[in-house]
Amino acid sequence: MGDFKVHRVRFFDYMPSGIRCMAFNHKTHRLALARLDGSVEIFNFSDNFFQEKIIPGKDSQSIEAICWVGERLFTASLNGGITEHDLVNLRPKYSLDAFGGPIWTLACNAQGTHIAVGCEDGSVKLFEVHPENIQFERNLDRQKGRVMSLSWHTSGAQIAAGMLDMIRVFDVKSVTSSGKSYCAQNAGGSRRRVRRRKCVVWSVVFLSDHTIVSGDSAGKVQVWDGNMGTLIKTHQISKWDVLCLSASQDENSLVAGTSEGTVVQFQFLASTLVEAEKEWVRTRTLKPHTHDVRAVLELEQIIVSGGMDTQLVVRPLMDKVEIKSQDTAPRKIHFPHRRLVSCAEQAGLLLFQFPAHLEVWRLGESDGHGRPGDRLLVRRKPEKLLQLKRKGEEQISCSALSNCGGWVAYSSVSSLRLFRLQCDNNHLSIVKISSLPKFLSSAHQLCFSADSSKLFVASSNSTVHVISLSKSECKLVHSFKSASGCTEPVHLLAPSADGAWLATANGACEIHIYNLHKLKPHCSLPLHRSCPSAMAIHPTTNNLVVVHADQQIFEFSVVEGRYTDWSRKLQRVGLHPLWLQRDTPVTHVTFNLQNPAQFLLHDMYMFCLVDQSLPLPEQRDQFFNQLTLKSLSEDERKSRIHAFKICKRFQPLLSMFMLKDGALVVVERPLLDITTQLPAPIGQKKFAT
Amino acid sequence: MAKKQHGKTGIAMDKRKNMKISENIYLGVASSEDDDDEAPEEVTFEDSKATALRSMKQAIDSVRREKELLKEKRKKRQELFQEQKKRKLLPDNILEEIDSTVPKKPKVSEVEGQGKEKKRRRRYKRRSLKGNCSVMRVQDQSLANKQQQSALKFIQSRLYGKGTKRTTASQLLSLENKRALNKTAAVQFVDKQWGLERKEKAKKFKKKWKTKQGSGRD
Repeated sequence: MGDFKVHRVRFFDYMPSGIRCMAFNHKTHRLALARLDGSVEIFNFSDNFFQEKIIPGKDSQSIEAICWVGERLFTASLNGGITEHDLVNLRPKYSLDAFGGPIWTLACNAQGTHIAVGCEDGSVKLFEVHPENIQFERNLDRQKGRVMSLSWHTSGAQIAAGMLDMIRVFDVKSVTSSGKSYCAQNAGGSRRRVRRRKCVVWSVVFLSDHTIVSGDSAGKVQVWDGNMGTLIKTHQISKWDVLCLSASQDENSLVAGTSEGTVVQFQFLASTLVEAEKEWVRTRTLKPHTHDVRAVLELEQIIVSGGMDTQLVVRPLMDKVEIKSQDTAPRKIHFPHRRLVSCAEQAGLLLFQFPAHLEVWRLGESDGHGRPGDRLLVRRKPEKLLQLKRKGEEQISCSALSNCGGWVAYSSVSSLRLFRLQCDNNHLSIVKISSLPKFLSSAHQLCFSADSSKLFVASSNSTVHVISLSKSECKLVHSFKSASGCTEPVHLLAPSADGAWLATANGACEIHIYNLHKLKPHCSLPLHRSCPSAMAIHPTTNNLVVVHADQQIFEFSVVEGRYTDWSRKLQRVGLHPLWLQRDTPVTHVTFNLQNPAQFLLHDMYMFCLVDQSLPLPEQRDQFFNQLTLKSLSEDERKSRIHAFKICKRFQPLLSMFMLKDGALVVVERPLLDITTQLPAPIGQKKFAT
Repeated sequence: MAKKQHGKTGIAMDKRKNMKISENIYLGVASSEDDDDEAPEEVTFEDSKATALRSMKQAIDSVRREKELLKEKRKKRQELFQEQKKRKLLPDNILEEIDSTVPKKPKVSEVEGQGKEKKRRRRYKRRSLKGNCSVMRVQDQSLANKQQQSALKFIQSRLYGKGTKRTTASQLLSLENKRALNKTAAVQFVDKQWGLERKEKAKKFKKKWKTKQGSGRD
């Protein structure tokens, strides 16, 4: 496999934020997810659950509800505003005050014509959706107490609203403010209610047969008759709160998430084979989380849940599955599929990106050599050189550190900042460069060229700006417009080491290569159906290695403008099934400087050294064969060896780099560390503990 | 102990009691005279009387001093309370404005001696004026911000407030550890009975230890 000196970095204290709410778009198969810190993430469920986009949040904005209207995304916040997000430029498009105090819930009707919001002051407000914006239409009958949850009937004529101790059905179509409204008193229904606090109806679902299902703080899922306002059935599923509910599209199944971290499924079944009458029956209890489940979705045969323990869990239901395969395995998404760490490979510095600040660390040093597997003594400890707080209340969306360690750049939604770092022995100075061109107000991705003389800024409308850096001034060299006219944001940038080429990948899966000497677009790669998750240009051969979210690997010769022979061979032979079954995307590609035939890939659970000089594994070959190879004789080893060498020692892996001196840097983030910092879980008594 | 008792009884102490004390002292002196028969009778009656009187005087003085100290203490406390109340109040000009907006009875002439009484009366009146409203400055906090804070507080109290039976992360981990097939050392070992400082210390140590373990694994 090759021997490397490894810097094992565990001082990146990255702490993901808890998941607050989710919405799924059935047409585009995109999941929108809002976190407690106000950031919104878009996952593509038809592309291996790849995290396509991240819209960074604002400190003052805590999102409470999210919904899709067609392909537009709306969120509601506790600061009283409804925000539409611009999914092309990855920023809030506009924000509208509903004037009802904090908004707890947001729901769009099935027709996509109206949005209803539930406010703190007890009003339900209707907004009409226009192509460009939304407009306030009217208030529904105002109630006492906050409106915690809303659900439209599929006809769009009625809305069910969950409040404190009450569920109310509003008639939307009638001319008067509220035609008929039934009051389901005592939604809590518990006899102890008098002594207890008021029961909060955290979630309601209005089914098309006028059944209302509610989940409340008394731990009950209750089924109501929406026409008469009578209780049909009560399921006590938890001693704590039922926080969220979601019904499948065919309305045969329903899931509820509780404070205990359980997800309970209900199905609409006939209780006996003979009876034709169906009722809601509790069928499954899953425990995907350790903390509160704040958001849950039931899609076709998949339950998606997220909560305070910050991970997104996608769990296929094994109803009609006979064979275990990649599609039936549950998966957990812990970390963003995005680069949070940058490395100055010459200077041995690391840049860590947090939502509110940046940190620059110098790697430690060790002396002496050891045998493989030895732990080397650290001569100089890693050292935190700098903590850079961001300005304003917008979160940092991307950052970059130059190869020489002399430049740091970061961007939020509305500002781009560049700093010059000077580090002599123990003295560090930082100077803000203020002479940046005015139009550079934000970036989707930042990258420095290999010789640190240029900064590449991926900006709105797929434009890439090239800025030359010098001590005296920074000026724009050229702006590359998107060659295909696509406006999707660029999420990957890969410059070549000789400074001649720049490759960009955008959300529409396009990869373009630009010539930096002639300042012209050079060529585009054939479109692959899956989004590129990592790419890099080889320092000597100028071959572009691209890894997609569906785990496919391509190698493209930039100079010749075609796929290399190795890449064609790989496509012909096909990747090993075990490689394709991994459930986290490759997030970084680096090259082995000592051996030009090798490149390194990593995902969250492993890193892989691909040796292009070795034969590719056949479908039936043993894929993880490191241990077997060790025990074989020299001759046998030669016949069994293949190109993919996998190391799973470092987990969970956030980033991996190769320094100039050939040492590897692996950045780990132990999940245990995250767990110890999470908010308090529910305490449950377990027998015999 | 003695001081405390004095403090309690001292308020109601009168001359008759003082007499009693002096009698006791006198008796004490007499009894001591009876006790040592062998000792040479060098102390004259006059001397002993003088010492007795002196000690009596001292006792009375100390009682009086105690009383005065107590008085002073009370006075200081009273002043402190008043100052605190004043600090809690809004600035005078704002109070004046609020007062002026409401029709008021003609002002009583301000005499230094009546100052306290007047203030008290004024405060009382404002309370009755307020009803459900409270006076606050707009610039301190925008309405939206305040509402947002209260909404967040609502969620916090609902999910993490009283009666929600939350534990800590370390307890969850230890429970997991206990139920696991192969048990390991606790992730965070803390004793409930430890003080806050020691708990912090333990946490820090644990963190260090964990990173050491982590680096030692490769």
